[in-house]
Amino acid sequence: MSNLGFALEGAWKVLLAGLILGAGLPVLFALGIRSLAHGAGGEGAQPRPAGKVMAGTLFAIVVLGVLLGLTYIVASGFGKTISFDHVWPAIVDK
Amino acid sequence: MILVLVVVTALGFDFTNGFHDTANAMATSIATRALRPKVAVALSGILNLIGAFLSVEVALTVSNAVVRIQNADGTPKESLTSDGGTALLLIVLAGLIGGIVWNLLTWLLGLPSSSSHALFGGLVGATIAGLGWAGVNWNGNGSKLDGVVGKVILPALISPVIAGVVAAVGTWLIYKVTVGVAARFTENGFRWGQIGSASLVSLAHGTNDAQKTMGVITLALIASGEWTDTKSIPFWVKAACALAIALGTYLGGWRIIRTLGKGLVEIAPPQGMAAESASAAVILASSHLGFALSTTHVATGSILGSGVGRPGAQVRWRVAGRMAATWLITLPAAAMVGALMWYLGDFVGGVAGAIVIFALLLVAAGGMWLRSRLAPVDHTNVNDEWDEPAAAAERVPAGATH
Repeated sequence: MSNLGFALEGAWKVLLAGLILGAGLPVLFALGIRSLAHGAGGEGAQPRPAGKVMAGTLFAIVVLGVLLGLTYIVASGFGKTISFDHVWPAIVDK
Repeated sequence: MILVLVVVTALGFDFTNGFHDTANAMATSIATRALRPKVAVALSGILNLIGAFLSVEVALTVSNAVVRIQNADGTPKESLTSDGGTALLLIVLAGLIGGIVWNLLTWLLGLPSSSSHALFGGLVGATIAGLGWAGVNWNGNGSKLDGVVGKVILPALISPVIAGVVAAVGTWLIYKVTVGVAARFTENGFRWGQIGSASLVSLAHGTNDAQKTMGVITLALIASGEWTDTKSIPFWVKAACALAIALGTYLGGWRIIRTLGKGLVEIAPPQGMAAESASAAVILASSHLGFALSTTHVATGSILGSGVGRPGAQVRWRVAGRMAATWLITLPAAAMVGALMWYLGDFVGGVAGAIVIFALLLVAAGGMWLRSRLAPVDHTNVNDEWDEPAAAAERVPAGATH
């Protein structure tokens, strides 16, 4: 296969991962902010606990995503990588 | 003697690498005032330092992607070390000088360009001059993405587009989601989102880019017989590289920060977060998949994308076009400087040749620094309003550099 073939093959994977993590997580974060605002209630309105719970859950997912990124950076520094073979990420040798 | 010059020059390159790339992580946070400029560069510098120390793995074969001066296990080619390593050291020295000169010139013009491509360009030029066209790994061997085409040209064309699409989609969705939400929630929330995502980019930069210089210095040490282990690098090399890149980052390439943060698009906090998240995700995903790309190209693509994705935002395509043109000529331009330096060093010969080209580097660097003083950009005016004519007046003739 030529370089162009390899590049296009890598490119769509990067695009897919980028869309899920790079656009998906920020959108969850934005949803979290929306829930937080909803939870606090508007002018004079009662606070809504459900909004806060929702916000907490969404932020937790985002934090997990960031931790995954951090783990990858640290692991690759030690010559390891993260395997997604079993869906759940695991640290393995490169 | 030549070895000392190579080490000093490599650290110099690492330093320019740092201040050239501060903008990639921090331009958005500075432009949206999520962080004060000084705090932003300090944070980025510290994260680069940590990142550089985190990279335990040896990137000794970094030059193999583009030139053939090393064996597959990282040891230098025997034909280049028969004379005590001088042949190899001269190629590396000339290549590094090519990279630094290009980094400084683009900094003077306030243009973000890839430091890795500048280094690769310098090495390619010096190798063509020293070993001929066959010394360059143009296309790899067809088994994986490799060579000048596979590691430099194709990723340079593809990565800004990927990052731009991701950031545009992210920005568009974020604005959809937060429409009508009170500013007191969005302001603070996106501020933290931006700082977090920009920090990830800084850390990833430290692990990736400092490693390249460590690899180059270790290669030079092996070539001159000062080091033999291809599986580890001397601690002082790691510490020096980490410090050089962190200091460079802290110094901040304010000109480039200004172009990226103010020149391309006016960035609002949600866009900043979308852009940096897109950068972090694309950089990490591609490095996971072995798809070499430049942090600079990704960050620029992301910021551009965040402008496209925000309804009603103005994108200065002229500035974007100038950047794209810079990327196209980065490799050949750095290669020309690298080749010229090699011919000159080889013409004078031996240690004297290395000293002459090193002195030329100092003159060029000093000249460009003095030129930059005429229209200084620093942490006090980095966020001033962007007006096109002033930026255009900063141009200097390319001939003034060597």
